[in-house]
Amino acid sequence: MEMFEYEFMQRAFIAGILIATLASLSGTFVVLRRYSLISETLAHSALVGVAVGLVAGYNPLWVAVVVAVLSAWLIEYLRSSFALYADAVLSILLSGSLALAVIIVSLGGAFNNSLFSYLFGSILSVSESDLVTIVIFGSISLFLLLLFSKELYFIAYDEEVAQTSGIKVKFLNFLLVTVVAIIIALSIRVVGSLLIGALMVIPTVAALQFRVGFKKTMLLSLVFALFSVVFGMTLSYHFSLPSGATIVLSVIALFVISLLINKK
Amino acid sequence: MQVKEFRVPIFDVKGLSFHVGEQTILQNINFQIYNGEYIAIIGPNGGGKTTLIRMLLGLQKPSSGEIRLYGKKLSEFKEWYKIGYVPQRAAHVDANFPATVEDIVNMGRVARRGFFAGMSKEDRVKVEDAMIKMDILDLRERMVGTLSGGQRQRVMIARALASSPEILILDEPNTGVDVVSQQRFYKLLAKLNKEEGITILFITHDIGVIADDIGRLFTINQKATICNDPKKVLSCEEMSELYGIDAHLLHNHKHEH
Repeated sequence: MEMFEYEFMQRAFIAGILIATLASLSGTFVVLRRYSLISETLAHSALVGVAVGLVAGYNPLWVAVVVAVLSAWLIEYLRSSFALYADAVLSILLSGSLALAVIIVSLGGAFNNSLFSYLFGSILSVSESDLVTIVIFGSISLFLLLLFSKELYFIAYDEEVAQTSGIKVKFLNFLLVTVVAIIIALSIRVVGSLLIGALMVIPTVAALQFRVGFKKTMLLSLVFALFSVVFGMTLSYHFSLPSGATIVLSVIALFVISLLINKK
Repeated sequence: MQVKEFRVPIFDVKGLSFHVGEQTILQNINFQIYNGEYIAIIGPNGGGKTTLIRMLLGLQKPSSGEIRLYGKKLSEFKEWYKIGYVPQRAAHVDANFPATVEDIVNMGRVARRGFFAGMSKEDRVKVEDAMIKMDILDLRERMVGTLSGGQRQRVMIARALASSPEILILDEPNTGVDVVSQQRFYKLLAKLNKEEGITILFITHDIGVIADDIGRLFTINQKATICNDPKKVLSCEEMSELYGIDAHLLHNHKHEH
């Protein structure tokens, strides 16, 4: 437990636990709506924010939150206003965002270690101001998710039936992608933009293997995410590996175990 | 000012039309549905039945015409929990969706509960009541993905009933359900209508089985014909000519009466 003697590790663990909670709760709705890919796309959009922040000298995390939210709204707008396949829209924005981010950092000459840590996550890099940002936006996101969880579950089950029973489906869809965008942007410090999608999607997919009701599925998904983050960060500390990679490999290990335990 | 007493219909449909490009799906549909009625809609596939239901529920905008729900325009109507909708695909839920029977029936209360509100005592009573009525109380812990088509169908109707609806709208609810379950299902609908006073509107191919119970029959094939006495329906020769309704069903029915 000597690792907790370091302040940066305390910060990393608080941030990691909050992110695991947020990613798994929101991930349940994202996965059930067959919208898993959105997390990958928003993570790349967040990277544009990071690039702008690094080059222009603003707090990269704040800019990442703003750009990811704008990107989420753009996705919803494109999806609902044009005859485009949802996954195609996601794919286009994913590549577009990455291209934009690379150009911005190249022009700004900021292609260095700092960007590398945003790609793959680094427990060393969670600063105090990062933690404050994560706690503020994370609390708001958690509040909104809990506030609307029963409505979001109903929508995930059947969007039209939810709408006909008076639930504001359009508003809640919008809200969900907004919250997901915020969570993803916050996560890139600890998990990294290339790997956060896994933390959002895999705990839920692993939980689904147990074929239990909604609350138990959410709880399992939360437990899996928390375990992966804590275990992954511990590995990252002891072996000096990027935390995002160790977290993702941990969650994948849990997924494989869940799959084998519940084999038909 | 109008002093005369009159009943406000649940649905008041006037001059409703729906076009997709050049194609007319529905043309000038007019009808009212009053509280306590039991109405079946029949018609050939592609005749516009489902489109009509979707427009009644505000899921699709009509090309022209007007729908009023309890006297209000759909856009101004707020009490959607009064309407219980069971869609066509009800029996085909995603087998992996993480929901017990009770999870699904609880959804019927969502629109009635406030933000953050847990299930109140009333919510629990209504949910249990709906499960008892649909005879699925013993399945409450089961995952919906493991149920038979008939059982799933009853779960979907229980969900709709849990919100204490005044009208139930069912779109081909028997798709993928075995014959025994179908008959049981029609008895349940008749009972809900007679004993609970719930207005029922449903789409079916299966008019022969239920003709004794239903109050009115709408046939939809671009246009609507409304028969106020379904037992006479099948003597309406022009109907089979106009709408091409399955002649086999017509024949059966004649035979019975």
